[in-house]
Amino acid sequence: MPHLSNEPGLSIAPGAAGTVVPTPTLDPLPRRIADFATLGDALGYAAQGTRGLNFFDARASLVRAYPFAELRTDARTDAARLIAAGARPGDRVALIAETSAEFVRLFFGAIYAGALPTPLPLPTSFGGRDAYVEQIRTQLLSCDPLLVLSPPGLFALVAEAAAPLDGCTAHDWAAFHALPADDIELPSATADDIAYLQYSSGSTRFPHGVAVTHRALLANLAGHATCTRVRASDRVVSWLPFYHDMGLVGCLLSPLANQMSADYIATEDFARRPLSWLTLVSRNEGTTLSYSPTFGYDICARRISTSIDVSERFDLSRWRVAGNGADMIRPEVMQHFVDVFDAAGFRADAFLPSYGLAEATLAVSMMPVGEGIVTDLVDERVLSGEGYAGVSADSAIGRPTRYRAIVNCGRALPGLTIEIRDEAGLPLADRHIGRLFVAGEGVMAGYFRDEAATAACLSDGWLDTGDMGYLADGYVYIVGRAKDMIIINGKNHWPQDIEWAIEQLPGFKAGDIAAFAITTPGGEEAPAVLVQCRTSDLVERTHLREAIRTKVRAITGMSCVVELVPPRTLPRTSSGKLSRSKARSQYLSGEIQPFEIAA
Amino acid sequence: MPARETIYARIVDLIGPLNKKAVPLAEDTSFSNDLEMDSLTVMDLVANIEDEWDIVLPLNMLPELETIGQVADAVAKLTK
Repeated sequence: MPHLSNEPGLSIAPGAAGTVVPTPTLDPLPRRIADFATLGDALGYAAQGTRGLNFFDARASLVRAYPFAELRTDARTDAARLIAAGARPGDRVALIAETSAEFVRLFFGAIYAGALPTPLPLPTSFGGRDAYVEQIRTQLLSCDPLLVLSPPGLFALVAEAAAPLDGCTAHDWAAFHALPADDIELPSATADDIAYLQYSSGSTRFPHGVAVTHRALLANLAGHATCTRVRASDRVVSWLPFYHDMGLVGCLLSPLANQMSADYIATEDFARRPLSWLTLVSRNEGTTLSYSPTFGYDICARRISTSIDVSERFDLSRWRVAGNGADMIRPEVMQHFVDVFDAAGFRADAFLPSYGLAEATLAVSMMPVGEGIVTDLVDERVLSGEGYAGVSADSAIGRPTRYRAIVNCGRALPGLTIEIRDEAGLPLADRHIGRLFVAGEGVMAGYFRDEAATAACLSDGWLDTGDMGYLADGYVYIVGRAKDMIIINGKNHWPQDIEWAIEQLPGFKAGDIAAFAITTPGGEEAPAVLVQCRTSDLVERTHLREAIRTKVRAITGMSCVVELVPPRTLPRTSSGKLSRSKARSQYLSGEIQPFEIAA
Repeated sequence: MPARETIYARIVDLIGPLNKKAVPLAEDTSFSNDLEMDSLTVMDLVANIEDEWDIVLPLNMLPELETIGQVADAVAKLTK
C-alpha cells in the first residue's frame, strides 16, 4: 500500500503497487479568479493545469490523486452515460455525497449533461437505518430526480428509499461507471441556468432545495479567492462533507474554479481521527486554506493529551487561513485551540470568521485576512430583544449585567450588499440589532418547486436570511438565528422536525410544543422542547416524558431536554403563532415553570 | 481469531469511559436509545474498536448496528 511518509514535505515512499503522487500545489497555469460563465467552463480551464483533488484515508495516507484533467475526462464520459439514461437539461440527478472521486465525477457529469446534481447526505452514526432511508426518501420526493446514484455499500438503503418514487431509478455507481458511453455532443449551459440543488441547511422533514445559478455560484467563488487573497502557494485541506454548503462550495467548487489543489479526508474518518486533518495541514509545504465549524477545532484541541508532543507532531505555521463558520463561532473554543497548538506554530491571526448560508450560495461576509477573531461584548438583555448593541449605561435594577461575546464576521463579499432591517422592514443604523438582508451576486434563484417558501424570503432581489445581527463600520456581527435553527456539532436541526416528531404521538397537536436550542453549562448547544401537558398524575407524566424523548430520538436522532409545562403557557406572537424565541427566554428566565416529574 | 464473547467483553470495556450516565450494559443495549450517544461519541468509539482489532468498520454498516450485541457480531465477522 503506497503511503506518504510522515516527514515534512511531500516525499513518497514507494509501494509494491507503484506510487500515488498528490497533485502539485504550484502550477504555471495563469490563475483565473472564477471568471467563467459556467461551472463546466471552470473545470475545462482547471483541466489545462496539473492541479487536482486528493483523497486520503483515516490515517492520512494518500489513496487517490485525481487531477482536474482526469476529472474532466471522466465527467464528460459520465455525462454521456447520464444522457443515455435519459437525463435532459434541468433534470435532477441525486448523488449520495461520499467524499470520493466517484461522487465528484458524477457531480460534474451531471453539470456537463445540463442536469442538476443534488448531493444527499451519508449516515453518521450507529443505528438509525430507518431514519436514514426516510431522510433520503423525503429529499428525493422534494427534488424529484430522474436518477439517484450511490456508492455500492449504501445501494440497498438508497434503492429502498427510491422504491416508492415514480420515474426515479436508483443506481450503484460502480455499475453505472461500467456502462458503455457514446461519444456524443454535450449540451451547453448558460450563466443563468440553474447549476445544482443544495439541501444542506434545510429541515429534514420539510426540505427545501436551494437552486443556484452558474452566475451566482461563480460570483461567490470569486469572492472566496478575493477575500482570502489567494496566492500561488495555496492548497485547500478539508474534511467537511460534500452534502454541506461549506464542504461542497467552499472546499470543492471553490478550489476547482480558482485552480487550487485540495486534500480531503472523509468526514467519518475525521470524526474517528480528527488529528489526521492537522497532519494534512502540517504536511503541506505550501500555505493552507482550511475551514471548519467550531466543533472541528474543539475536538482537535480536546484530543491532545499530555503524552502528545504537539511541536514535534505538527507544523501549523503555514496554515494561512483557518476559516470559521457554519455555526456560531465560540471565541473561548478558538482560544483553547490557539493555546494547545501555539507550540506547533499555529497563528491566532490565521482564524478567519465568516458568515453565510446556502441561500446565498455560501459566503455572505468574510473577515479580512490577518484580522483574526474580534469580539464585541453585548449585554444579554439587549440580545434577547432588538436593540442597540453596545455597553448599556444602566444595569438599572441592580442585577449583575451579563455580557455575551459577539464575533465579528467580517465584511460583505464583493458584489453583495448587507442591510439590517427592523420589523417594519426599514433599514437600521449601525449597531442596531435587526434582521439581516442580503442582495447581489450569489443570492439563490429560489427554492426548487416551492414558490411560497421562495416568496417568503426573497423579494426585489433581497434575501431575508432570517438571521439577526448588526453592522458596525461595514463589519457584520451575527447575534442569532431567527429561523430558530438548532446547530449541534455543525449540523443544523430544525425545531419543526422535533415538534413534528412529538405530534406523531397520540394526544399532541401543533401549538402544544415548542422546540429551541439552549446552551448547556459546558457552553454547548443542546435541543430543548417544552410540551403542554394536561395530566396531573406524576407517574403518567414520567411515562409521557419518556415516550417523547424516545420518539424524538427515533425520528431526529437527537437526545433532547424534555420539559412538560401547564396548558396555555406557551407564548404566541401578535398573529397567534407560536413564538419559540419567547418560549425560550421565558423558560430560561423561570417565567415558564415546568411540571415536576416523579424521579 | 478472537472469540465472540471476548470481543463483546472488550467492547463493553471500551464503552465504559463513554457511558457517562452509567447505563447498565447488555447485548441489547441500544447506542442511541439507551446510551444516548451522539454521533461524535459513536465515531470515537468506532475508532477505538478499529484500533483494538485493526479492522475498518465501513460507514455503510453503521445504520444497521443498533445494539452492543450487533456491533460485537460485526467485529467477530470482520476479524475472521
